[in-house]
Amino acid sequence: MSTLVYGFAVLGSLVAAAVGIHGLAGGTWTLVAPGLLPLGGFAIAMDRLGGFFLTLVAAAAAPVSLYAIDYDRGARRGLLAYLAFLGAMALVPLAANAMTFLVAWELMSLASWLLVGREPGTSRPAWAYAVMTHAGFACVLAGMLLLGARAGSLAFADWRAVAPALDGTTRSVVFVLLALGFASKAGAIPLHVWLPLAHPAAPSHVSALMSGVMVKLGVYGLLRAGLEWLVPGPVWWAAAVLLAGVASALVGVLYTLVERDLKRLLAFSTIENVGIVLIGVGAGMVFRAEGLGALAALALVAALYHAANHAAFKALLFLGAGSVLHATGTRSLDACGGLVKRMPWTAAAFLLGSVAIAGLPPLNGFVSEWLTFQALLQNLRLPRPELNLLFAVALAGLALTVGLAAAAFVRAFGITFLALPRSEAAAGAHEAPPLMRAGMVATALGCVALALGVTWIVSGLAAVVEPLAGAAPPLAVQAWGTVDVGQGFAALSMPVVGVALALALAAPLVALRLAGARRDRRTYETWGCGRMLQTARMEYTAASFASPFKRVFDFFYRPDRRVDVRAHAESRFFVEATTYASPTRSIFDDWLYGPVGRAIGQATTVARTIQSGHPNLYLAYILAALVAMLVLG
Amino acid sequence: MLRQLRAALGAGIVTEAPPAPEVEALGVRLAEEIRRRFGRSLAIRQVDAGSCNGCELEIGGLTGPHYDLERFGLHIVASPRHADCLLVTGPVTRNMVEPLRRTWQATPDPKIVIAVGDCGRDGGIFAGSYAVVGGVADVIPVDAVIPGCPPSPRALLAGLLDALGRRR
Repeated sequence: MSTLVYGFAVLGSLVAAAVGIHGLAGGTWTLVAPGLLPLGGFAIAMDRLGGFFLTLVAAAAAPVSLYAIDYDRGARRGLLAYLAFLGAMALVPLAANAMTFLVAWELMSLASWLLVGREPGTSRPAWAYAVMTHAGFACVLAGMLLLGARAGSLAFADWRAVAPALDGTTRSVVFVLLALGFASKAGAIPLHVWLPLAHPAAPSHVSALMSGVMVKLGVYGLLRAGLEWLVPGPVWWAAAVLLAGVASALVGVLYTLVERDLKRLLAFSTIENVGIVLIGVGAGMVFRAEGLGALAALALVAALYHAANHAAFKALLFLGAGSVLHATGTRSLDACGGLVKRMPWTAAAFLLGSVAIAGLPPLNGFVSEWLTFQALLQNLRLPRPELNLLFAVALAGLALTVGLAAAAFVRAFGITFLALPRSEAAAGAHEAPPLMRAGMVATALGCVALALGVTWIVSGLAAVVEPLAGAAPPLAVQAWGTVDVGQGFAALSMPVVGVALALALAAPLVALRLAGARRDRRTYETWGCGRMLQTARMEYTAASFASPFKRVFDFFYRPDRRVDVRAHAESRFFVEATTYASPTRSIFDDWLYGPVGRAIGQATTVARTIQSGHPNLYLAYILAALVAMLVLG
Repeated sequence: MLRQLRAALGAGIVTEAPPAPEVEALGVRLAEEIRRRFGRSLAIRQVDAGSCNGCELEIGGLTGPHYDLERFGLHIVASPRHADCLLVTGPVTRNMVEPLRRTWQATPDPKIVIAVGDCGRDGGIFAGSYAVVGGVADVIPVDAVIPGCPPSPRALLAGLLDALGRRR
């Protein structure tokens, strides 16, 4: 049964990808079924932006569903929810009126909630996810209804025409509501708390889609709201988005660095990458608000490019984490180790994903992060010092983020796959079954294609963002696959970079071969300082790798250092056991969600005093209400 | 202030006299030999196989500013993987037999092994103890021996020169 469902999902995704690419290439169509839904009916329309996000959804869903055939073999629960989840995600970017959008959005949330809570013991993360996603939905609903009421229509096409006529306060209230709702789906700081709870709880193929694709639909909503429905907006909206992006990127990467659960680590890294996308979106909105359409287009190209890249490598990494979980039954970095020998395919795929997400050439993460940097550097064409300062902050934050991300993924890959196995489970790990490998290979090829096809992708995205930015980006394609930014400001050719790196790696090997190094080769064990006994307990652990970062950023992590030494009863000099723990404390839990949760708890306690449960009392309430209405009426 | 100045001027030069001219000559010849055999420099890994650290003090003296062996192209390195030469001190204690073998294995060929000190030569005053297996040559092949308890820096330089010259 599960094979049939996931096989159908693969085929459906391929069809949807074809439709999406058609839309991306400029095909437009609309489909209206007034009787299907109240308040405006069911209406979907295809444009380039919708086509881009549909392609993103479908292109990620196809390999992930292929992977799920083997990963989720024999599953009985959650199959329908999976199909509904895919369908809703495909529908969201096509929705042409508020009703269709909200129904698809809610269906997406409900289906993913069912999937998060599928496994036993996941009710707490599932409820946390439900609360956060519905708080976000409430914001989107309020914003859309407010805008719809003022505009007198629920069709998106009408909003754009009406928006400039609305007064500034209404527009700002609508934007803030929509932005909060979409940002909570995208996982921006401080609305990110559901990601590290929901992603580890969901089955890995669902995490791949939630993290790779679903959060991007939050970005999609923000693009529509900020650059289409409510355009032109004041510059402070844009600045807020840019700062939220910087904060998300930094906070996300800092948590990624110290996390010891592989899937939670990837969830925090999603927050970081959404932050990078939001930096691009925010920069685009700033340029747009300041009337620099071409630069806005450049920043949006960078943002969409990074969104696509993140979908590819994050799906790949979650599939890799799923294979590790499948093989060892653990998500803990400290229980893994030595998997590179036991799971070479998974290790190679995870390594490729790590290189890509760390923004190292010659893979796709490097291209989009480079483009984001170029877009931010263009701020010197803005004649406003306060905005230039903002961009300087964004540049510094992005640079720090990219550097720390590299360290975080050296740690994630190294501790999980290298050295000796740290547990029985890791020692007995086995390679993933063939379809899981196929899913990982397909996403890995996607990462490579997104890097090498930079010239085509950039021209495609330029057409997508043109209606949003109002101008074409200053990007030119030149010989040797070179992309030129800002008429000679900067240029990059991924094919040349790739060939140069391959040559640089191959040159020493060839030189050694020519010098006859093979003749006197002698193989001996790795140098371990002459140690006689080398066990996994002597290895670098996830905690020890993160320790220097914890110390440097201790104002952020606020680690609790607990050392507990248990001595022998006879003498305190004979130590029986030493336990060490250094948990970090979340500033968001302590300073934001904790107080809010406590306040809600107190308010409900107060409200309970009038809810005694006696029928007589409720009759008295009715009487009092009646009297009050009669008197006031 | 004036008193301080007078004291400083009155103290004269308190640093030791430079090493004797024959040490200098030895170093120059060593540098020539290294250049001839190894191109530029000789990387030395020092292994303490159970020494009393007397030999280590003298080897440490070689790297100090007085003798400054780096100017002759000699370097003490941190891993046998980087080394051309092993400088092994002390009688080989039972616990150090296997690590010493592994160190020797981990050093790339071609390599020079020099046993330093009387203990390294044959176990010295510790020979016959239940805790030691004997000199360095009882565990790994040795190319040259620098005797002394401990050998002076000058003797170390002479021994290195001798070891380089002996090896064909």
